[in-house]
Amino acid sequence: MTHRGTLFFVLGALAALGAGWAGFPHVIYRSRPQPVEFSHKVHAEKAGMKCEDCHELRADGSFAGIPRLDKCAGCHAAAMGTTPAEKQFVDGYVTPQREMQWAVYARQPENVYFSHAPHVKLAHLECTACHGNQGQSDRLRPYQEDRVSGYSRDVWRGMKMNDCVACHRGHGIENSCLDCHK
Amino acid sequence: MKTTRRDLFKFAAGGAAGLLLTPAPWRLVTDTALWSENWPGIPRPVRGELRTRFTHCTLCPAGCPVKARCVGDQPIALAGLPGRPLCAFGLSGHQLPYHADRVTEGDIETVRTLVSKRAATESVAVLDLRPGRTASWTYRRAMAALPRGIYLAPQSAVPAVNLDAVKTILSLGVPVLDGWGTPAKVLAARPHFRLIQAEPMESHTAMLADEWLQLRPGSEQALAEALAGQGGGERTGLSAEQIGSVARQLAQGGALVLATQESPAVIELNHRVGAYGQTIVARREAAVPPSWRPAAPTTALDALPDRSIGVLLIDESAADVYLPWTALESKLAAHAFVVTFASSRAGYGRYARLTLPAPVFPESSDDCVPAVDSLAATFRLAVPLVTPPRGVASPTQFIAKLANLPASNALRERADAIHAVGRGTLQQYADSRVVSIKTIKRDEFWKGLNEGGSWTDDAGGKMPPLEPLPSAPAVVAMSREMRAARGPMPPLVSKLYRESNLRVRT
Repeated sequence: MTHRGTLFFVLGALAALGAGWAGFPHVIYRSRPQPVEFSHKVHAEKAGMKCEDCHELRADGSFAGIPRLDKCAGCHAAAMGTTPAEKQFVDGYVTPQREMQWAVYARQPENVYFSHAPHVKLAHLECTACHGNQGQSDRLRPYQEDRVSGYSRDVWRGMKMNDCVACHRGHGIENSCLDCHK
Repeated sequence: MKTTRRDLFKFAAGGAAGLLLTPAPWRLVTDTALWSENWPGIPRPVRGELRTRFTHCTLCPAGCPVKARCVGDQPIALAGLPGRPLCAFGLSGHQLPYHADRVTEGDIETVRTLVSKRAATESVAVLDLRPGRTASWTYRRAMAALPRGIYLAPQSAVPAVNLDAVKTILSLGVPVLDGWGTPAKVLAARPHFRLIQAEPMESHTAMLADEWLQLRPGSEQALAEALAGQGGGERTGLSAEQIGSVARQLAQGGALVLATQESPAVIELNHRVGAYGQTIVARREAAVPPSWRPAAPTTALDALPDRSIGVLLIDESAADVYLPWTALESKLAAHAFVVTFASSRAGYGRYARLTLPAPVFPESSDDCVPAVDSLAATFRLAVPLVTPPRGVASPTQFIAKLANLPASNALRERADAIHAVGRGTLQQYADSRVVSIKTIKRDEFWKGLNEGGSWTDDAGGKMPPLEPLPSAPAVVAMSREMRAARGPMPPLVSKLYRESNLRVRT
């Protein structure tokens, strides 16, 4: 009977560990699908496109971000293939000229200012340094948003302030608060 | 096996212990903190395409160039230029218009009627706390047009300091490293001069000075008198050896004495150490249209008879040097009407009959006076980055209207006058291009200024004579802390300046 108490304690701990590690991420994040199924892989491999073909830097150095509909419609004014996803995209967005409401995985909080230009042009960072292999993905993951803070899950996966600071320190760059914060 | 209450407690305790080894509680703590940043009512910066605009900061006379990142018409971040960084005040200037203590409402028309009535029969004085601007000329013109108009300013004209010639600075409480001159210029020159800071408290400047003389409070002038050979050194609390050592250092040439108060002793001391013409030099003023003359002269407060001001209008929208209220009060007639134009009630608003809301940086459209360390005249515009709220009164327009003076185009008129002289260069910050104004047209010059350009006069040529005694004032500066304590400051300043001392290091 002396181990009975230990048994219940361990059971409780195991239940909490399971709930905390496996269950909590499902509870804390709210998922929603992207408006259109999109394959970076198809565009990169079959069409031979590069990241900057769609996610370009403007002439003034600012980052255009997610391409707008007119950029996509340049090629997809009519369906180029036979996939249902492309048909849905053309019928649902291109033809009625309806802008897509993409959920941006890498969107930083409102108090953060981030410029792609110095990172890409001056520091010559590859897109994968922060965005991982997003450019090779065959389908878009659901966008996951923290229910409490409203932050994207991807921000927690390598785009937190500590990650920025660690990278800057690794490159011997020290910045003041207001270089990144509005 | 029957489960007892004790078992449940053990299970719960195990659960609590296990939970601590998961990310859940720690993540919730972080998330709650982040959630609190997004409470309703907290302003959220707008999202959209970024664009860059250039202007000049008017929070202090340095007039540093500002590179503003804007989304639409909203500045979201201010920064300096390479080699010309902004201080903590400038960096957070775009938050000022939203300060909780901001005065945004006032019955401007009623005040205008009241002032107009009294101006017909009583003397009207304008107190300009940052003389030398185009607005100052408007005040002087308006006061010349009124039957009993008086233009008051803390100092008539501040000569320039040639930092390249300075070898030793004796500062009587002036925040030399903390807001006196252009931060970038002062810090660049710092290795080449010895700084003796004489003040009772260990200020930022005192901490970084080569020598800090801890005076008795209020004995700065006594030290100046002692060094000028007028005695009274014992009142400072310093030993004769200390005063003698300072005197010897000043006698080695390249000396400059700075004080927070204009006084004959400081002027005499600067005269004795040969500062005038060497470290303190004259500077030409930027041209003004001939039609602006004659304008009312600058009247020193001491020169006014007691109880002589019927209406006092104070432009506190860009205040550098404050006059003590007690000194002003003695000049006011019984039942005098005092109106201050300010963004908060923290300054003269505590004493004035009325405070009318004035625009603040970066709402205000103004020009910057040349910094104390600028040897040549400059003309730089503070281009508004945001629209002031409805109900804000421009002191310049208010005072000009009193005298039926058209002043809405004064900055343009002055720019045209400068262009007509054809001297100097225009620097554009966007592309770092410097062009002679002889090579550009009048409209191009005006456009360049409005895009954040800076006109600088030719440094050479014939300079006006410098008259060190008795009319030329000492180089005066106001303690940054004293000034800052009067008006509202963005919350970010507390973090950057008060805690991290960033102003000194930028």
